[in-house]
Amino acid sequence: MNLQRIVVIGAGTMGSGIAQWFAQQMCSVELVDNSQDQLHKALVVIHTSWDKLVEKEKLTSCQVNQMKKLLEVKSLDQVSKKADLVIEAIIENLQIKKDLFQKLDQDFSPSTIIASNTSSFPITLMSEAVSPERKQRFVGLHFFNPATIMKLVEVIKGEHTDATLCSQLYQWFDSKDKKPALCKDSPGFIVNRVARNFYGEPLRIVELDDEAKMKEVDKILKEVGGFKMGPFELMDLIGIDVNYSVTCSVWKAYHQEPRFAPHSLQKKMVEEKRFGRKSKRGFYKYD
Amino acid sequence: MTNILFDNILINFGFGTKAEKKRVLLENNDKIVFMDLTCYDPSEFYQSFPNLHGSFAALFCDEDKKIEVHQRISTPAFILKLKELGFMPFEISFVSCGFIFPRTIAQIINEAHFALEEQVASPQDIDRAMKYGVNYPKGPFEWSRGRELFVRTLLGELYEKTKDKRYLASKLLAQ
Repeated sequence: MNLQRIVVIGAGTMGSGIAQWFAQQMCSVELVDNSQDQLHKALVVIHTSWDKLVEKEKLTSCQVNQMKKLLEVKSLDQVSKKADLVIEAIIENLQIKKDLFQKLDQDFSPSTIIASNTSSFPITLMSEAVSPERKQRFVGLHFFNPATIMKLVEVIKGEHTDATLCSQLYQWFDSKDKKPALCKDSPGFIVNRVARNFYGEPLRIVELDDEAKMKEVDKILKEVGGFKMGPFELMDLIGIDVNYSVTCSVWKAYHQEPRFAPHSLQKKMVEEKRFGRKSKRGFYKYD
Repeated sequence: MTNILFDNILINFGFGTKAEKKRVLLENNDKIVFMDLTCYDPSEFYQSFPNLHGSFAALFCDEDKKIEVHQRISTPAFILKLKELGFMPFEISFVSCGFIFPRTIAQIINEAHFALEEQVASPQDIDRAMKYGVNYPKGPFEWSRGRELFVRTLLGELYEKTKDKRYLASKLLAQ
């Protein structure tokens, strides 16, 4: 497999990060968004990031000049329809995504791989929007934020995805600066499922809204467990509302399986608008 | 299990069943005892054995030998002895069943086994995903290797105490 021409749809944090990473692999990248303003902002962020990497001598100015030439921002109508890979990284709304995939299926070459960076929706469900032939070339590619730094890409095989295509994608990412993990199309894929208990169990250990105990749990999981952040400070950083929403989504997807059940404190905090760092009050205070 | 005795203080290391742990405490009721209770609830033992002055969780520690320690009655000689033995004790002010790190990691390991049971991914890919997607220092299968008995026992104990089905072990782990 040789991925050379990439289209990334959605110039938000994830989309622009994914576009930047592909350009750094010397792929030709077209970054697409409905908003010209968003595209302009994304380009400024990416160029600034590259310029900083030159200053830090992580990249040469020659490499960065080449990357800048390789990355273009466009509207969907302007992009080349012969891309090797199109990655969707737009808003997490199933109907909007399905409408987009239907259009991509019609517009792009039959050989183009269509991928979604979703963390919420089943790949098989989204592939309903495309033709039976395209379903075989429809896959999940779940990147982690920041996409240029985090090594993992979950390669998600939908019910109809060609297994050989998944293996080839796995090998391609493995040969680059990524650590791919192949997984089945199931709720939360690997990370958003297995990581749930890093939050859920500490909440049950402290039981109550007790800041001193939370500090102790954070300290032990960093010092003894070797985690980079403790669960409570991490939930405050992610956003209590965001974390609660993911927990509820996985819990519902697994038919209210008790292992994924949210803790009553999470719900209470969301109701009290204690969202974490962004609202200056979460498990901890940030005045 | 291994016992180390010094100055009328006995430190009990290693895995044992609840009955075996209680027997050690009964047989040494003339001594001050500190005991590895990684898989159990220390407060349950404290209620029945006044000679148990503290507990610790060493069954999941790595080469760095960092462990959680709870002292019901402060005994500096015990901490010094642990350090002499190469451990890095981190004192905690409260205990719950399975302490903090073992209880959290047991649940992560259990979920990874459920995912494997459902063929979501291979153990290698699950380990890789957790290390490179959320920066875990180790993958769940790397953590559990050789410690399946401890995870199983701890989950069983948590289930017995809470009757909460979230602590039921995956079939793969229960084997």
